[in-house]
Amino acid sequence: MARHARIRALTLLVVTAAGLSARAPAQSLQRLTVTQLTLTADTTTPRMEVPFHLIVTAHVREHISELDNVDLPILAELELLGDEHTLSTTATGTTYRETITVVAHHTGRIAIAPVTLDAVDARDGKAKRYFSNRLTLQVSGLGLAAPSTWNAWDAFGTFLRVLVTVALAIVGFVGIGVLLAVFFRRRPAPEPVMTLPTPVPVTIDRGSLLVEAMAALRTEPTRAGAMRARSIVRRMVGATEAETLADVLRRPAASDHAVRNLLRALERAGFTHEADLRAAIAAATADLERMTR
Amino acid sequence: MMNGPAGVTDALRGTIVGQEGVIEGLLLGLLCAGHVLLEGPPGLAKTLACRALASALHGEFKRIQFTPDLLPSDIVGTRIFDQHESAFATVRGPIFANVVLADEINRAPAKVQSALLEAMQERQVTIGPQTHVLPDPFVVMATMNPLDSEGTYALPIAQMDRFLLKIDVGYPTREQELAIMERFAIGEGPSTEPVATLDEVRSWRAQARAVHVDDELKKYIVDLVLVTREARSTAIDHGASPRATLAIANLARAKALLEGRDYAVPDDVRNVAPLALRHRIGFNFRVSAEGGPQSVLDKLIASIPVP
Repeated sequence: MARHARIRALTLLVVTAAGLSARAPAQSLQRLTVTQLTLTADTTTPRMEVPFHLIVTAHVREHISELDNVDLPILAELELLGDEHTLSTTATGTTYRETITVVAHHTGRIAIAPVTLDAVDARDGKAKRYFSNRLTLQVSGLGLAAPSTWNAWDAFGTFLRVLVTVALAIVGFVGIGVLLAVFFRRRPAPEPVMTLPTPVPVTIDRGSLLVEAMAALRTEPTRAGAMRARSIVRRMVGATEAETLADVLRRPAASDHAVRNLLRALERAGFTHEADLRAAIAAATADLERMTR
Repeated sequence: MMNGPAGVTDALRGTIVGQEGVIEGLLLGLLCAGHVLLEGPPGLAKTLACRALASALHGEFKRIQFTPDLLPSDIVGTRIFDQHESAFATVRGPIFANVVLADEINRAPAKVQSALLEAMQERQVTIGPQTHVLPDPFVVMATMNPLDSEGTYALPIAQMDRFLLKIDVGYPTREQELAIMERFAIGEGPSTEPVATLDEVRSWRAQARAVHVDDELKKYIVDLVLVTREARSTAIDHGASPRATLAIANLARAKALLEGRDYAVPDDVRNVAPLALRHRIGFNFRVSAEGGPQSVLDKLIASIPVP
């Protein structure tokens, strides 16, 4: 029995290797529109000496009677027990499904390389090799060597699965109930619409600001007073602290000739040298007086 | 000839179409006794502007075309043996002029650049055993072409720092392009007549130095330089040196004088700050992602409150 199995495994290896090395030329490849090529297993944690299945699934848009050039990976660490494939045709194309029954004789991790399919891509006429996903299996030692233990373990696992399923179903029902209750709960009556008073536009009282600036200059006819008056007038035209005089003069609020003169006079008073300071403050004060008159 | 600096500006405008930034930058450099670096593609009147400035000043103009095989002695001069006198005689190089145009300065190797920059800094050169003082005023205007990188020797930041200001020369507008075609359609175009003497230039410089800069403005200038050293932009590897602080203050004074004032205002500082900062900041590769050096600089300057 063991000898027979080894021969079969070897045969698969040889056939697979032959398929890989003797690649069919592009002319003999099928012209296909491949939409799916996957490699799955019915369990990713098989047990030693317990048969399980590897499933290759391919889907093509064409209606075909046979799918050629499907290369299976080398399954050196698994013994091949059986291999069968089916083709089913639907309106969307043909689905190829190959089920390989294998068994592991050793515990540990097994990495299975992708399945490949060689075909001429019907979309662009180029010969291509399509790859499926890789598969990693973890073989555990709880195999048929202790059938009574395995059966007890299996029964316990089945019981746990049923228990978890029932618990999830209960949680699901309760969740749906809560959502429905929240959704259909009686909403509070809407607040009565309040009519707010019409907002009064905030206007900068230009007159009072000019008076304030003049007061700053008169009470303190120094550079500090000039800077304070300059700050008030800049605020009056809406200037920010990042703006220089050139920026301020571009503001619509500074389009008035008198305002422009005042801004220039205050700039002079703020930055001129000491010998010119008194005259500069006098000039700015005169501009302010003219504007507040 | 007492037209003031404005007379020189008008004379330059009579020769050069547009390029107001270049004209103003050259005047600022002249008034501050500083050297000017002009960067821009070829054909944008960089050389013409420098030549016109020298012509407007009654000054001596020399042009040095920088090439890879240029030697320091080709700039400063050398000593040759005079067989008739049986003694060594000094032959002065083209650096002995009032306005020196160093055309395509980045095409000469580092030792030639160093020789020029040392002369710029010291305002004197040593040829053999003798030290020679350079004429006053002495202004070096160097041009660089940013388009060609092959066969060039980029100026290190330390050497760029020697230039008082850097002017980025841009393309003219459509109207200016038409005016250029009209003005230079036949021959060489208009020549610049002398409008100021070198003594007048020295007098303007004294006036510029006397322009008042208020304490608040001085703090503003320092803040502008310090912000380049803070890690506000990931596009900056290192900020500007204290030379930038002095440069902004001096340029603001000169700008105020050009505007006819004997005191500087925040506008003067903000206008000249990019000229003094752009070549003193070490930008890294991220600067392109942040909109380029000018954009980064503008943001930094805008982040400082104006006094």
